[in-house]
Amino acid sequence: MLTAIVIFVGLALVFGLLLGYAAVRFKVEGNPMAEQIDKILPQTQCGQCNYPGCKPYAEALAKGEADVNLCIPGGNEVMLSIAEITGLEPKALDESVAAEHTPKETAFIDEDVCIGCVLCIKACPVDAIIGATKLMHTVIQSECTGCDKCAPVCPVDCIEMRAPETTLETWQWPEPTSEPKPLASQYLDVNSTTEQRQ
Amino acid sequence: MMTRSPFSRTIIQGIAAVYPMAKRWLHRFHGGIYPKHHKSRSLQHPIKETFIAETLTLPIKTTRGQKIEWLVQVGDTVQKNQCLVQAAKENKKGFFVPLHAPTSGTIKAITEAEFPHPSGLTTQAIIIAPDFKQTTLQNALKVSGKQPDSPQKLKDILLHAGIVGLGGAGFPTYAKIPAQKDRIHTLIINGAECEPFITCDDVLMQTQAEPILQGAEIVAQALGVKQIVCGIESNKPQAIQAMQTAANQIKSVPITVKTVEAVYPMGGEKQLVLELTGIEMPVKTHAIDSGLLVFNVATFAAIFKAVTQGEPLTQRLVTVAGFELQTPYNTYALLGTPFIDLVNAGQPKNPIQYPLIMGGPMMGFQVAHNEVPVIKTTNCILANPPEPSTFTMPCIRCGECMDACPVNLLPQQLYWHSQAHEFDKVEKLNVFDCIECGCCSYVCPSHIPLVQYYRHAKSEIKTLHAEQQAAELAKQRYEFRLARIEREKQEREARLKAKKEAVKKHSPTAEPGKSAPKKPSVAAAAARAAAAKRAAAKANKNTEHSGTDEQKSPPLSARQKAIETAQKQAAAKVGSKVATAKDPRDSAKKSAKKAAVIAAAKRRTQAQKTTDTITTEEKKVTPQPPSNIATAPPLEDAKAKRQKAMEAAKKRAAERKARQSKQEKTE
Amino acid sequence: MNNSPPPIISPKSSPFAHNNQSVRALMFKVQLAVLPALLVHLYLFGFGIVVQWLLALTTLLIVEYTMLKLRNRPVRPFLTDMSALITITALVFCVPPGAPWWIIVTGTAFALIFGKHLYGGLGYNPFNPAMLGYAFLLISFPVQMTQWNLPAEVANFYITFSDAFSLIFTGKIEGISLDMITSATPLGKLQTDLTQGVGVIESLAHPLTQTVEAPPNINADSPFHVIHQLVDLNSWEWINVAFLIGGLWLLYTRSIRWQYPVGFLSSLALIAFIFHTYDPDTYPPVSFILLSGGTMLAAFFIITDPVTSCTTPKGRLIFAAGIGVLVYVIRTWGIFPDGIAFAILLMNIAVPLIDQYTQPRVYGHPR
Repeated sequence: MLTAIVIFVGLALVFGLLLGYAAVRFKVEGNPMAEQIDKILPQTQCGQCNYPGCKPYAEALAKGEADVNLCIPGGNEVMLSIAEITGLEPKALDESVAAEHTPKETAFIDEDVCIGCVLCIKACPVDAIIGATKLMHTVIQSECTGCDKCAPVCPVDCIEMRAPETTLETWQWPEPTSEPKPLASQYLDVNSTTEQRQ
Repeated sequence: MMTRSPFSRTIIQGIAAVYPMAKRWLHRFHGGIYPKHHKSRSLQHPIKETFIAETLTLPIKTTRGQKIEWLVQVGDTVQKNQCLVQAAKENKKGFFVPLHAPTSGTIKAITEAEFPHPSGLTTQAIIIAPDFKQTTLQNALKVSGKQPDSPQKLKDILLHAGIVGLGGAGFPTYAKIPAQKDRIHTLIINGAECEPFITCDDVLMQTQAEPILQGAEIVAQALGVKQIVCGIESNKPQAIQAMQTAANQIKSVPITVKTVEAVYPMGGEKQLVLELTGIEMPVKTHAIDSGLLVFNVATFAAIFKAVTQGEPLTQRLVTVAGFELQTPYNTYALLGTPFIDLVNAGQPKNPIQYPLIMGGPMMGFQVAHNEVPVIKTTNCILANPPEPSTFTMPCIRCGECMDACPVNLLPQQLYWHSQAHEFDKVEKLNVFDCIECGCCSYVCPSHIPLVQYYRHAKSEIKTLHAEQQAAELAKQRYEFRLARIEREKQEREARLKAKKEAVKKHSPTAEPGKSAPKKPSVAAAAARAAAAKRAAAKANKNTEHSGTDEQKSPPLSARQKAIETAQKQAAAKVGSKVATAKDPRDSAKKSAKKAAVIAAAKRRTQAQKTTDTITTEEKKVTPQPPSNIATAPPLEDAKAKRQKAMEAAKKRAAERKARQSKQEKTE
Repeated sequence: MNNSPPPIISPKSSPFAHNNQSVRALMFKVQLAVLPALLVHLYLFGFGIVVQWLLALTTLLIVEYTMLKLRNRPVRPFLTDMSALITITALVFCVPPGAPWWIIVTGTAFALIFGKHLYGGLGYNPFNPAMLGYAFLLISFPVQMTQWNLPAEVANFYITFSDAFSLIFTGKIEGISLDMITSATPLGKLQTDLTQGVGVIESLAHPLTQTVEAPPNINADSPFHVIHQLVDLNSWEWINVAFLIGGLWLLYTRSIRWQYPVGFLSSLALIAFIFHTYDPDTYPPVSFILLSGGTMLAAFFIITDPVTSCTTPKGRLIFAAGIGVLVYVIRTWGIFPDGIAFAILLMNIAVPLIDQYTQPRVYGHPR
């Protein structure tokens, strides 16, 4: 009896010390969960979650202050991975918003109409608009996240969101559908000439 | 796998007589299939005389950001072999080979036209109306006729001749050749035309064996190649004989003509290299990294013509075949000839009511419209009516596809994960090693379009990676912006403090002290309000957040690129307005816009006066003054127009607000 | 850039050729290959199997139709793909030919509903449906499932179609005591003998019944009978040989992969050989193990089911060899006379793991 107690107390002590040592030795700086969430967020910095950017939202999530379903550009996939990281219950996206989830668009400034007011420059969360006062502005396409923050602030309505053009380079094979292969009769258009089509 | 001895080959062939799939043991790569060749019918007819269509369409495919230089204008008269378009001198992106006139005539238009591609998308194209005289520019490339003695000289000729890989991939040939001598030990001539129906390489070898081999000799001598190996499939005995005879006459480099098994896809670069040399090209490397160079026979013939006669690539041998044609044939087709014209010359049994296939049945694609033109990579035009619809059954994991795969992938597992959109797993299963040869789909008893699943998965994976990169960039830039705002705030406070202290008659040079290396920033503080960007660039060095050079460089280079594109866009915009006023907007808006353009031009002149406050980068952004419109408009006129533009813009803004409030109300 | 309207139909990718092989043709070949075994079975055990097969077919049609309708799938292509037919054929060969009608009906229904449709239908089932059905029957109705009627030559009675019909539906044949024509299978008998202390040699030396005479309604001069006398095989061994012949034809037509029978039979033979050499009186000889029970049926027709087995070449060998070892273990030390069903189900679970670790080397990747 006594031996058993001694053994178990001894074991408890050993493991306790081990765990205590590990806690000190392998201490992780910062909040890994916020980092993890930040990594999966789409980084559009659009603010549709009502936080100023992706990182603040990630931090709020890590603290347990935010819902998992606020990231609209991320869609369902991001929501599910957030739920997985935080261990919270997955929650459906707001339906009206989820339906509008469209492929990535980027901002275009109609350079002839732009009056150079710099309002959009200030609104851009990733500094993707260049220009200066009274000089027309332009959007660096490769850096635009499509957050749509610049369009509402424009006083002359010269910013529009455009889906990227499909070119021969960017064209993708569609996923095969289960529909049967088309019959010859469905191809009536193949012989029309360019002029006819236009 | 070792090469089989003749004895074991005989035994295997004996087994193959009763068990056909034993043929797979005869070649070195894994799998492979034995589709019906369907080659004999187009081989029966001699090469058909070149036919000149009423209009030739020459589509120009450029990659994004590529700059090209037009050498002709609408209305110009051109001679055959005259260069029409070439890469601009400042172009640094990608590879662009020039395009030459396939025949003499006039440039009817430079417009958008459909490119032969499954998407049916359009590109810029030159439309030529031939004059049927075939006035030819002799020695268009101005070659001396001497054999080039260095790789660079050869590369120059090939670039100007516009030669690309004629086997199907269409990669510019000059770009494949290394610039240093002696990097290549073996030159491989690809005469393994493994796709069913296609016979153009076979015919070319039968009729042009000497030019092909002399072309190979030219390349071999320029590059210091030790040996030339030519692989021809065993189902082309005449071609093998012709090539062998021609090879015996070439003494400078040892040439071996090897007969390889007639198995699909023997003509694939990786497969042929393994078969001929036993070298398995390591993953993610090119043939050149293994000291090999592989070209198609047609490419060698084109090289020969370019180097000896200075003739650019303006036509190619094309097989026009298919079940529906009564007289399938081969012909030297001029680039730009519409597919449908060539097919109609082959006497189709019924009017063509379905998409034609460019390339063979295994790797070709259905074009969206049948009037698309012949391009440099068109080796075959196929008129096969679409197969009757078959119901796609679920995968039963029978493993036929795996046995057929020439690169030893696991097609059914790839399919399983692609279908479930688990693209990370698809990538792990090496989907990028897939050569899209179509063997798996060919043998699938469930009739699953496997290749299309892989193509889709590949593009999805690429997009995913691009998105990840973009997100990473956005994150960096967002954090950097936060840091910049914070720093500006501090600086403002510091300035305020400094002013206060100055008022209090303290030392004006006192540092705010919060961050040490800020002297230059304070000095430039006045200019910074107007030049936020420059400050930002400097701050990059100063702030802690993005202090390292590594973090600094990507946004900058991206910016550079963006500036270039912005410049180009602006220029293009002006150009397009001059050329075609096809803007579908209403006329009021159009006039406002025009006014705005002029206003913008004026702004620009103003801007030039105030250069000292503008950073260099912003100067770059300013587009070049539009040459045609903005040639010094009267100042008052411009002012009035600008006001008009402002008014119009304001009006539109008001309209927008009204609309929005209306929408809100309705909601 | 894109001025022209996009084509009406989304583009179809290459290839535009096919070898015209189809799932249906594949399954039909498998079905054909069963014929020799069916004929031998018919000759030896009478018409019981035909009645059982018709019963199973009726159940199949009803179950498949209902399930496909319930799952909202097209009925025609899936009902005619013949994959379910193979499931029931395998099951029918495992069920005693004289078993009551409800045995095969419940077995078929269980196999198709729980073994296939509830997992998502053809191609999505992790377990071999036939073996799932068989295991279900063996556990639930052990008495009915282990009583086989004796081969005609042994029982001196040939079961005609009408006999089989009344036996299956009423449980008796007019004027015959059932005990006279039923007994345990050789494997079952061997197991019982071993537990009673009878050695393997002695057990195998005494066939099921002593009277070996030509059955009255079979011509003694028929070629089959002659061969029968030349080659000393018992009836069970004949059936296995018939399966072997059908299986070899399947191999030749590439309907099944060679790794399955080779891996299974060689591992089974090897382990049997080792134990038989170690102690011939406790462990039966290799030939007995290979030609008894459902060994050949399993080797060529059941473990070859591609849906539930491994996909990589190496994986297939491991999968088949694993079944071989498990079959021997269950036969020798388990409580069931034949362990094929359990061995297959156990290895079915291991398939994803085996596939994961046996991926072949892709062209150009380091060895």
